[in-house]
Amino acid sequence: MRWVRRHVLDGYAILALVYLFLPISVVVAFSFNAPKGRFNYTWQGFTFTNWAHPFAFPGLGGAVRVSIEIAFLSSLAATVLGTLIALALVRYKFRGSATTNLLIFIPMTTPEIVMGASLLTLFLNWRIPQGFSTILIAHIMFNISYVVVTVRARLVGFDRHLEEAAMDLGANELVTFFRVTLPLIMPGILAAGLLAFALSIDDFVITYFNAGTTITFPLFVWGAARVAVPPQINVIGTAIFVIAIVAMIANVVFQNRRARRLA
Amino acid sequence: MSEAMSRKMFLGRAAAGGALLSAPGLLRAAAASAAAPALPKTITFSNWPLYIDLNKKKQHPSLLQFQQAHPGTTVRYIEDINDNDSFFGKIEGPLSQGQSVGRDLIVLTDSSGLPQRMIQLGWLEQWDKSAMPHFKNLIPAQQHPIWDPHREYSLPWQSGMTGIGYDPKKVGYEIDSVDKLFTDPKLKGKVTLLTEMADTMGLVMLSNGDDPSHVTQASWNAAKTKIQKAVKSGQIRQFTGNDYAPLLANGSIYACFAWSGDMVQLQADHPGLKWIAPKTGAMIWTDNMLIPKGGDVYGASVLADWFYIPKIAAEVEDYVNYICPVTGADKILEKSDPAVAKNPLIFPPASLLKQTHQFDANALNNVKYKQDFQHLIGA
Amino acid sequence: MGKLLHRRAWVTPYALLTPGTAWLVIFFVVPMYYLGKMALSQGLFPIFSFGWQWHNFGDSVSEYSTQFVRSLEYAGIATALALVISYPLAYWIAFRGGRWKNLFLLLVIAPFFVTYLIRTLAWETILSDNGVVVRTLQAVHILGSDGRLLATSAAVIAGLTYNFLPFMVLPLYVSLEQIDHRLIEAASDLYASSPISFLRVTLPLSLPGVFAGVLLTFIPAAGDFINAQLLGTPQQYMIGNVIQSEFLSLRDYPTAAALSFVLMGAILVLVLVFARILGTDRLTSGAAA
Repeated sequence: MRWVRRHVLDGYAILALVYLFLPISVVVAFSFNAPKGRFNYTWQGFTFTNWAHPFAFPGLGGAVRVSIEIAFLSSLAATVLGTLIALALVRYKFRGSATTNLLIFIPMTTPEIVMGASLLTLFLNWRIPQGFSTILIAHIMFNISYVVVTVRARLVGFDRHLEEAAMDLGANELVTFFRVTLPLIMPGILAAGLLAFALSIDDFVITYFNAGTTITFPLFVWGAARVAVPPQINVIGTAIFVIAIVAMIANVVFQNRRARRLA
Repeated sequence: MSEAMSRKMFLGRAAAGGALLSAPGLLRAAAASAAAPALPKTITFSNWPLYIDLNKKKQHPSLLQFQQAHPGTTVRYIEDINDNDSFFGKIEGPLSQGQSVGRDLIVLTDSSGLPQRMIQLGWLEQWDKSAMPHFKNLIPAQQHPIWDPHREYSLPWQSGMTGIGYDPKKVGYEIDSVDKLFTDPKLKGKVTLLTEMADTMGLVMLSNGDDPSHVTQASWNAAKTKIQKAVKSGQIRQFTGNDYAPLLANGSIYACFAWSGDMVQLQADHPGLKWIAPKTGAMIWTDNMLIPKGGDVYGASVLADWFYIPKIAAEVEDYVNYICPVTGADKILEKSDPAVAKNPLIFPPASLLKQTHQFDANALNNVKYKQDFQHLIGA
Repeated sequence: MGKLLHRRAWVTPYALLTPGTAWLVIFFVVPMYYLGKMALSQGLFPIFSFGWQWHNFGDSVSEYSTQFVRSLEYAGIATALALVISYPLAYWIAFRGGRWKNLFLLLVIAPFFVTYLIRTLAWETILSDNGVVVRTLQAVHILGSDGRLLATSAAVIAGLTYNFLPFMVLPLYVSLEQIDHRLIEAASDLYASSPISFLRVTLPLSLPGVFAGVLLTFIPAAGDFINAQLLGTPQQYMIGNVIQSEFLSLRDYPTAAALSFVLMGAILVLVLVFARILGTDRLTSGAAA
């Protein structure tokens, strides 16, 4: 009985993860599907061909690469910019903090289609050609708000006494920030970065308007879906997060080894 | 041998040697002469996905052959058009400011009203017909649309029919009319219609005995009321784009308004599914090649003309499986791929074509009708 | 209160803010200015003339009030569901995740690597009228014999909930992970039972995360259009669908712009009310602590 009580939370968490991954398991399963036609909607038979030729569809490989590059760069930039803003908002009382808060919230409330179209108007008025750079600009823009809100949740509960203690021991502000504060809020920054990455790699509407003739992975999928849903799309989606998970596992194992060696 | 190459050679060597003037196009080129344009280094062609031939190596043979025939020019082929309104919304910004959209050739559907609108707005370039000797291969039925009577701006890429797609096993009988979708209680909640105004309203008007090519307020209202009742009662489940396909495939819906080309693809894995033209009539639409303002007219014209060479058209048709607008392609396919040549959804016989209708071109851009329709589908 | 102020401190917040806010001002505020001008214009595509047409706002609200209310409803329900589902998961990752915390976080956002459309197609397969799920529910009479899951409000709300789960899990985790375990130990030392120490210690300390998660879920969910389009009938269409149709199909830019501003305003008001209820100072600023 006590075993059950102690593990209720574990069971619950597993259920939640199963729920999260239910459609993904379907996606993975269908990446092995062998449809004769161009649609991948019902199970026809098992095959490894899709995995053998994941980039068979012209344009798919390029689109994936563009999406990953943009997601990486935009989440990095947005995380830096957003963390700085969060620090300012939480740590300091200053004139204009209310306006800044508003400035952070409003982008999240704006429907993507008008945000995308208005941004395009800006680029047109300023004669900025649309392509990779305009997509990047747009992604950084909408990611900043999400980073601020996420990092702020971490900063608010942060124990300032640790910083005071460091300063009492002779560290100046900059050293304190980098050796005490930053490591402690890093989980928040990391979480914000992950969120920004996910938002960027899945964005469709804003990207569509500001992409010019560049194609990202979501643009490719939405476009293809009109006439076909090749299993290769499932393969790529599966592959991306399997790679990310393997990388993460490797990182944890590596950290464990390091910790054991240093101990 | 391509004309552009011949033309260069002609220009390169002062006055004519008869040996060069073999192809008919050259004679015309000779007459038009001195400042004949050259092909640009890159021709950018935006199209709908999977709408061009694709071989096992996932290349586009028709484009490769074009590049071989016109050395020094590459075709940048982008499959970024997946919805008429969305694509138009994306390019109208630059076009309205007089900026180029970075494309030489685009493809939009006539039943969206957008090619017509672009002509009215002055956002399209005209073909350089002197560069298009195969223009005459356009099938007669397509030569004089109301909205571009002399085909100065547009040239069909593929056509398709909108009719009823259904699963005879689930339905239990052979459907032959639109009314069955609206009245059969067994189909309640198992029917979807399309978000395309021309297709949905057109088919329903036909089922009322009205002519969709001449829309009147009365015929519009009659169709609207019919749909409204069916939506309220739950007979109609949803309005879809081509996402009716997975629903039909997995049995969530039994019958729907569907596009002929989609059915050909679905039938590959679900041979039981059927597509029919309702007995009151089906709708036909055409995707047209267009040159947006700022595109390279000569390059686009030469490329568009390439696809009207029957051999090339046959290659494309063999893969795309919609309705081919080029005469002579079926003869070629009869030898190389008779199954395709005989498929009535790809080369419809005259009897089937007679049952197809087009939507009133003026009504397509009528604001009131468009608002009405959007309210019907829930927005 | 931390003694982190010294002579040049007044400049520090502005220095920190500038890069990010400058980016937002250039690439968000300026476009919003264009949008605002459009909201006050009128005309037919492509000729729109500016004219202080304030009535655009009133007109659009009265015409689409149903969809507005429905959007806020659906977003609210989806947010509540997301909170209920995510809190235990975030708690588990924060308290029991150990060295694998980051891996679990990655797992939580992993579904986003498979584009929205593919995820939804997968749900359409799982919840199809003939699928295992529906048939089971029919067998136990939760659903009527001709009941379905797809093309219902339940499907739309479920879609919203599912797609915004990471937005709820991550901020919750961020807040929970930070809680000093000694506080919880202290509570149990003082004879508090587990539920009590959770309610009186953990939960209040995680409120900043709850606040953040609710914001990050509710706000974008209210403007969503894609779930209703793929998983709903016309009776489920949200204000996002209306804006989509006004903009793309009807090309009535003034109405689309006006609707957007009304939506933004409505969401902001609700957020402010929510913040007031929870007590904003504690949630957004450590400077007062």
